[in-house]
Amino acid sequence: MSAPTVTEGGTVVTLTSFADAKEAYRSAELRQSLYDEGEVVMADVLVNLHGREHRDRRRVENRMFRREVFERYERELFPGVVARTLQPYVERGGVDLVHLGHELMLNLAALTAGVDRPEGTAEETARLYAYMMRFIQGATLAHSTGDRAAEAAAVAQALEDWDAEFLAPSIARRRALLAAGEELPRDVLATLLRHEDELGLPHHVIRREVAFFLLAGGHTSATAFVRTVDHLLDRLETRPDERARVADPLFLQRCVHETVRLNPSSPVGRRRALAPVRLRSGVEIPEGATVVIDLHAVNRDVTVFGPDAAEFDPDRAVPPGVAPFGLSFAAGMHVCIGQDLAAGVVARGGADPDAHLFGLVTGAVGQLFAAGVRRDPATPPRRDTATARPYWGTYPVLLGGDR
Amino acid sequence: MSYRVSVDPEVCISSGRCVADAPDLFRFDADEIAEPVPGAPQPADERALDLARACPSGALLVHDADTGEEVDVFG
Repeated sequence: MSAPTVTEGGTVVTLTSFADAKEAYRSAELRQSLYDEGEVVMADVLVNLHGREHRDRRRVENRMFRREVFERYERELFPGVVARTLQPYVERGGVDLVHLGHELMLNLAALTAGVDRPEGTAEETARLYAYMMRFIQGATLAHSTGDRAAEAAAVAQALEDWDAEFLAPSIARRRALLAAGEELPRDVLATLLRHEDELGLPHHVIRREVAFFLLAGGHTSATAFVRTVDHLLDRLETRPDERARVADPLFLQRCVHETVRLNPSSPVGRRRALAPVRLRSGVEIPEGATVVIDLHAVNRDVTVFGPDAAEFDPDRAVPPGVAPFGLSFAAGMHVCIGQDLAAGVVARGGADPDAHLFGLVTGAVGQLFAAGVRRDPATPPRRDTATARPYWGTYPVLLGGDR
Repeated sequence: MSYRVSVDPEVCISSGRCVADAPDLFRFDADEIAEPVPGAPQPADERALDLARACPSGALLVHDADTGEEVDVFG
């Protein structure tokens, strides 16, 4: 359905075809509005900016999101982070996958965002984890099923507390390094401080920007991680002959991409029309209208992904110019800045596994299957009822031991 | 038809996708804005279209080499 509908909130145009969605994402006349309800943590952050303001900040931050940086994370830093995070759960014989996913990705997101953990203790990480989960709640307030005003107030307080405990010391350390002319870590916070004068960012914007990178890096990858394991466990139940394929990172990466296609982190994209827009298909978007990009439908567009588009098929072939993960990472100016870090580079024919970037989610899934992950028959997974988004609330799995 | 590819520096957001995908054709300038590698050949038509389609900001422009008209890479 693409015809405008008039609601209490104004005119809404819902896009369900892949072509319309891609064109909408690339239109400069359609500005981001997915996080309008989540302003407590999302106001003035990169993904919410438009026009010159967005371009200037993205130019600065993109310097940190380069493939050579991703290679260092994927090859040098993250395998050890995953192994250390996983080890106690393997020894214990199991874990809640939802918790593990967020803990793993928090470790990564803290590094990329620039949030120091000087104590290096499990308690300190647990406190940062609690803040991150609160920020996630703030960013997804639009889909909350609870008391949104109370949740927004709790998020605002969490930002203040997190700033005092984690952000302010992280800023102080980087400022001291800058003043001493010493090398800064390659993270978002250091990048912002190095370009502080150029961007003119007040402290409260730096606070939200770093919080955003913490929550976005942690949450989107964590949900993709849990869902990929879920899809793969399903597939191996019906195709046990494919069990050996989980040792192939190219296969695992295709599973991640297929999972992300079927389960975008946000089920919709949303834009607001700054001017009338006419899409090539003839869809008319009036000025001021809200454009809802139904990613669930767009990524199941049978004209692009075939008649079995709704099925999980890691061997699916996609047409030239179409990413195997559909539009889950968006497109256009707001295309996910961490896409290659999380999901790797799309493999072309004859990709060299030694030089290829598989993405951090792929690496984490691979290590989990190497640890013998399987569902806990005594405790089935359950959905998260606190949000309308289709998240898993708990997903107990067994590790190690008898398989 | 023969195409020519250029970068609109006012639109480029320094995503680096063209530099990573086609280092033989694109590089960063001193301000980390993408620019064609001096002296590099023009890419084959299909590659030009692929690179322009992949550019997140739409800064990579494709023109008809004969007429100079901009090509609609999604058309």
